[in-house]
Amino acid sequence: MIEQLKKVWQRRELLYYVVKFQMKAENKNKVLGFVWSFLDPLLLLLTYIVLVSIIFKRGGPQFPILLFISLLSWRWFASSLSRSVTSISSKVGLVQSVRFPLAILPLSGIIIGFFEWLFGFVILVPMLFIFEAPLTVNILWLPVLLLIQFVGTIGACLIVAVFGTYLSDLGNILQFAIRIGFYLSPILYSVEDLIPEPLTMLYMLANPFAGLLESYKNVIIRGVAPTEYALAGLVFACVAFVVGLWYFSRSEYKLVKVI
Amino acid sequence: MVNVNDLGIKFKMEKRRRSGALAFILERSRYRQRSRGEFWALRHVSFTVERGETVGIIGRNGSGKSTLLRVIAGIYPPDEGKISVGGEVSTLFSLGAGFNQELSGRDNIYLDGIMIGLTKNQIDGIIDAIIEFAELGDFIDMPVRTYSSGMHSRLGFAIAIYSDKDIVLIDEIMSAGDAAFRQKAEIEMNRIMGERTVLLVSHDMNTIKRFASKVIWLDRGAMAAMGEPGEVIEQYLAASRVKKPPPDEY
Repeated sequence: MIEQLKKVWQRRELLYYVVKFQMKAENKNKVLGFVWSFLDPLLLLLTYIVLVSIIFKRGGPQFPILLFISLLSWRWFASSLSRSVTSISSKVGLVQSVRFPLAILPLSGIIIGFFEWLFGFVILVPMLFIFEAPLTVNILWLPVLLLIQFVGTIGACLIVAVFGTYLSDLGNILQFAIRIGFYLSPILYSVEDLIPEPLTMLYMLANPFAGLLESYKNVIIRGVAPTEYALAGLVFACVAFVVGLWYFSRSEYKLVKVI
Repeated sequence: MVNVNDLGIKFKMEKRRRSGALAFILERSRYRQRSRGEFWALRHVSFTVERGETVGIIGRNGSGKSTLLRVIAGIYPPDEGKISVGGEVSTLFSLGAGFNQELSGRDNIYLDGIMIGLTKNQIDGIIDAIIEFAELGDFIDMPVRTYSSGMHSRLGFAIAIYSDKDIVLIDEIMSAGDAAFRQKAEIEMNRIMGERTVLLVSHDMNTIKRFASKVIWLDRGAMAAMGEPGEVIEQYLAASRVKKPPPDEY
């Protein structure tokens, strides 16, 4: 496992180029290219604002920014997962032509997802001023939260990358799971609005992503410390990371023969 | 340089190597009962290639030639036996299978170069030679999906030849180009021969005869013969019951 980390670290330059060229290839097909990186999250945000604020007349005055930060973070997780499913099987020619650490393929998807998050965050910053979110020292928690999410996502994506190589319809199943996960996580709502007090703990522990999302909202928008349930996210992320790394290292060589 | 000792590579024999999750659940019992056959793509293969030698690998389709190159490139770990490769190996971009179709030829050269362990500076140094050799002209900045099959293979060959690796693996690339390209490819082959160790897979016996100092004939995953090119090719052709060299299969 440590071996696996070393292998990837040694080829970090390759990872850099894979990410760079992957992003280039993805943007090349679009007329507006780079601009879509900003338009994408904005349009998504708009859709849900229309749905929740206008149609259902729910959500408070800060709803758009609360929604935006959770939407961005969820999207990072979800897009990383969907990229990972086919990250190896879609690169048959490459995988059978050169030897390189296969973990670079799912990993590059996660990094691209993080850039998408960053592009969205650039739009979020001026919105924070418009909606008068208090800027406090708690914002310093943000890198910690991002790191927790990054570590956990790596674990989940490594597992999904292996299964996705064996099971060709995992992508379909995963899309469904992601959709369910979206509604089960505090994105369109906040935990305190919807979940009755006695059930909060149960809900937060059952969905480790919930604590993370509420913490993002706390440190960026509400200007308070992360919820203690972010710890559940941390534990879950570390476990996922170790299991994912172990399982991927074990399966890596077998994968080459399967695709 | 390359030392292969009693090498064996096996694959699982399944109707569908990749199956669906849904199918897996629905047919679970059937999956359990089904005996998983194994298939040795290579077995009991042993040979040594010295530094600077050019070795031709011949055999019918499915005899394990490409699998052998992949083992040497480190893509498949041996299931049996041992292999030691003393040196860095070039890519195995047979007919450009590893190219990213959306990216330009130029970007693909960089990506592939980094993949096989070159640095950006090294690629900067050889990229002009690659582009010129592959005769891509203005197409170098077009997406690879717009390339003809000839352009694909010329680019693949050029990267393999110019990447300056100790061991060059060439999988049926020579026969893909037109006459003019073949001549150029032959000049390049002659240039690197002696300096590098070359493993050349081809169905074109003339190519093999011209370059190889030793020939390995693979038959259904086993070594049928190894030795002096003229002799081994003679035996192979006799076994294939073809009097003249077979035409290219592509």
